[in-house]
Amino acid sequence: MPIPVEVMLKKKERFERDPDTVPADFHDELFRLEAEGELVVQRVPDGVPVVEVPTKYGRPKLVPKGHLWHHKSCGQCGHIPGYSTSIFWVMRKLGYDYEDPRDQTSCTAWNYYASATSNEAAQAAVALRNFATAYESGYFPLIHCGTSYGHYKEVRAELLRHPELRAEVRRVMDKLGKPVVLPEEIVHYSEWFYAMRDEIAAHQVRDFSGIAVTVHPACHYYKLVEGDAIYDPDVYGGQRTAVVTALAEALGAEVRSYSTWFDCCGFGFRHILVQRDFTRSFATIRKIEVMKEEADPDVVLTHDTGCVTTLDKSQFAAQAHGRNVGVAVMSEAQFAALAMGAHPYKVCQLHWHSADYRPLLEKMGIDWEQAWAEFEADVARLERGEKEFLSWEDVDA
Amino acid sequence: MKAEAVAGFEEVSYEEKRRLFEEIKSDLRFPDYLYGCYECGICVAVCPSARFYDFSPRRIAQAAAREDVELVYQQMQEDIWECSQCFSCLRCPRGNNPGGIITIMREVAVNHGLASAKEALEGYSRIIYKIMSTGTQVSPDMLQPDAFPDWGPEVADVSNQLALWRRALPPETLHTTSTGWDVSERTLIELYLIWLETGALDMIRDVDEGLHMILEEVMEERLEEEGIER
Amino acid sequence: MTTEQGAEQVVAVIGGGPAGLAAARTAADLGARVALIERLDFLGGMPIIENYAAITPNLEPAEVAMGRMTAAVEGDPRIEVLLGSEVTSCEGEAGGFTLALAVPGGSRQLTAGAVVVATGFQHFDPGRETQMYGYYEFPDVIALQDLEAMLKDHHVVRPSNGEPPARICFVQCVGSRDRQIGNEYCSKVCCGIASKEAIEVRQQLPGCEVFIFYIDMRMYGYWENQIYWPAQEQHHVQYVKGVISEVLPKGDRLLVRGEDTTMGRPMEVLMDLVVLSVGMEPSPGTRKMAAVLGIRQNRYGFIDAAHPPLDTVSTSRPGVFAAGAALGPADLEDSVSTGAAAASRAVALLRSPVGA
Repeated sequence: MPIPVEVMLKKKERFERDPDTVPADFHDELFRLEAEGELVVQRVPDGVPVVEVPTKYGRPKLVPKGHLWHHKSCGQCGHIPGYSTSIFWVMRKLGYDYEDPRDQTSCTAWNYYASATSNEAAQAAVALRNFATAYESGYFPLIHCGTSYGHYKEVRAELLRHPELRAEVRRVMDKLGKPVVLPEEIVHYSEWFYAMRDEIAAHQVRDFSGIAVTVHPACHYYKLVEGDAIYDPDVYGGQRTAVVTALAEALGAEVRSYSTWFDCCGFGFRHILVQRDFTRSFATIRKIEVMKEEADPDVVLTHDTGCVTTLDKSQFAAQAHGRNVGVAVMSEAQFAALAMGAHPYKVCQLHWHSADYRPLLEKMGIDWEQAWAEFEADVARLERGEKEFLSWEDVDA
Repeated sequence: MKAEAVAGFEEVSYEEKRRLFEEIKSDLRFPDYLYGCYECGICVAVCPSARFYDFSPRRIAQAAAREDVELVYQQMQEDIWECSQCFSCLRCPRGNNPGGIITIMREVAVNHGLASAKEALEGYSRIIYKIMSTGTQVSPDMLQPDAFPDWGPEVADVSNQLALWRRALPPETLHTTSTGWDVSERTLIELYLIWLETGALDMIRDVDEGLHMILEEVMEERLEEEGIER
Repeated sequence: MTTEQGAEQVVAVIGGGPAGLAAARTAADLGARVALIERLDFLGGMPIIENYAAITPNLEPAEVAMGRMTAAVEGDPRIEVLLGSEVTSCEGEAGGFTLALAVPGGSRQLTAGAVVVATGFQHFDPGRETQMYGYYEFPDVIALQDLEAMLKDHHVVRPSNGEPPARICFVQCVGSRDRQIGNEYCSKVCCGIASKEAIEVRQQLPGCEVFIFYIDMRMYGYWENQIYWPAQEQHHVQYVKGVISEVLPKGDRLLVRGEDTTMGRPMEVLMDLVVLSVGMEPSPGTRKMAAVLGIRQNRYGFIDAAHPPLDTVSTSRPGVFAAGAALGPADLEDSVSTGAAAASRAVALLRSPVGA
């Protein structure tokens, strides 16, 4: 008698983690070194609400809701400023305090992965200088960029493993008059958005139920030192990283899969700057065209500077070659901001983006012509010298 | 047709190639990045560069494991610059990190001023200058239509409206144009100390002498102004 | 027949799979009395639990082969079979152990001179965190034992739509030989079993293309020409060196990605059914018995053979022996061999004047 397929399917409903398998945890070594006086561990801030989120091997990770030190992304701030602006805006709207530091450098990993014109010690020192600065401010670091996040995890792993590296970096930190500090968790801003997705959804004013989304997860978020990444049994059965997807679903959007989900976007660090045919071809052929053909999304969401840049900026030239491109690209932070009623130009700064976002805005019920007029009016006021800068109050007016 | 120097056909002695390999192998991270390789091909399957170039992270791991100094030297000519440093290859079931091995190979190539490093980084000097001297990367004022013609028409708009559009950003630190955000003086000084103390600045001496000179001047001058001894 | 009297003449065998059945039979043949303790309500172990179709390599139906072993044990008056029973504690020492058992309806005590642990393995769960094969996401991704069940019933179909597949592939080394998962060993039998299943698929569905994506083909001894060569030469199973990195849906089929290392480039192909050749891990029973009996496990959780390679069945506790897949990846020949070896060591112990 044939085995009914339902019997077969019933055998594998859901992945249950084996209780006998205990994952290795970098915290063991981190706290051991702290106990020996080799470094300082910055704990999540006292008196601040903290969310526990599930990670790849089952270890719960702590994400503080507020009192965060925004470790900004040079790429976002440089050419996609709506990305950083949206992160700040959402955090302000939800009422959590933060620090936007001037004493922060880029993680410098874009240059490092592009050109290798740096070394292990320099990269570690850059990381630790930023971490020490956050520690001294009392605010807990929140990393804006996927590359920074991946690179800092890599630096942490190297420091925990190599006493010689620690010694060299300590020497440099001493010269700077800074302590050697590592935060107890390295938290990416998309993990904060994941942790806060219900609070964000509670503030939602625009209806996203008709919006189809494809998600591109950043390589450096989940492939590099993968134990830190968020994996949720309710999202893809815990088989794919849950950030971005969980937020889009919480906002009522329809998340659609496609067959190159795990592919890199093709940023290449060096390639996007000086060998763009690779980046453009890869992003077009392996990501955008596949998404369009298989999923037909209204918007592509991702959570990293390089990925937004690549997927957004590769479409213009590809279009000239008659490729099947033409879909809006943005971060889930901008997407969440739009859901919460943010101005598409004053907050999300979509005029810095390349791929056409207007059909998406229309689907969201946003009159982009009027919005643009409002923004231009504000810019005109700046031009006339009525104001020096657009303020947080201005963008919500 | 690549220049002989870059294609690796230049007369380079075996001893020199061996020395370069030993430098790679003696890097602190090397034992973390290379165990053994059973040629399963997972790294190639997931590698974006393997789809576009004649590039294979598996060949990188194999060459290093076999200590094939000739092949490794060959790979330092072109292959290592084709890697997109995405670290998809960390899927390796043996725990190898071909992308990481490549990072080390690149550092060695840069340190020795190999022609391939110079060629790979041609047109890249502005980027190095920006990140090392200002602590942010690809600043707003670098968005010029002639630098990024393929990114889209908004590049020209940004470029034309740069100062105004930057003032139209609510975050207080983002009103800058020559840097991504407003970086404090003290922070820059700390950054310069890092580049100088760790020898990172000296790495580019052989890759771009002119750039190195300018950067060294900028940094040392600034430190002198602050009265900082090295 | 009770075994409370003459405890020193009893061998307690824990586990009623191939190794346990071989141990029980051998001990009885050597003149000892045996108590065979099995957790489930039937004997036969994994081949029966997981509905194996045919055993490797000679393709005899598993149910028939195991049926023979089971019948021999059930029909033997010297062997008391205790189904639905588990060992909860074990006191004493070699020559005189007292075991407490949980049996249907209550508990009981059992005294034995020697113990043989034959509690076997479990299949690696391919939903574990580093695997990107979508076992829990996609109905058409199944494991070796799922295909066995279908082959046994001559009903190989795609679970998604009930249609026979036109193209299937096996992915080798799932959960084995992997530093990231921690199972750094080879599970020994999956290459042979996958190839055997491939042959069976080709026999049952002559129109179906079958691929095996592998790292190495482990066809030791006679399996080379009993399985591997016929699979390629008679049954035209396609072997591709380059294991699969991930499985994603494309349309209503599955896209598998790997490197065709012969060609030296990435490859992507569409499949109807993907079969994961999952490796072996210690079963929950093996872990439990290791704790109950106080015997040492190796770093993978299998029972540690105390004096390898020449003594394959002693454990860290004198008088307690282990057999079969409880010791590590094992094929049927290994299991029945170590079962018999453990039994003979156990009986020798019973017969010697002083302890082990």
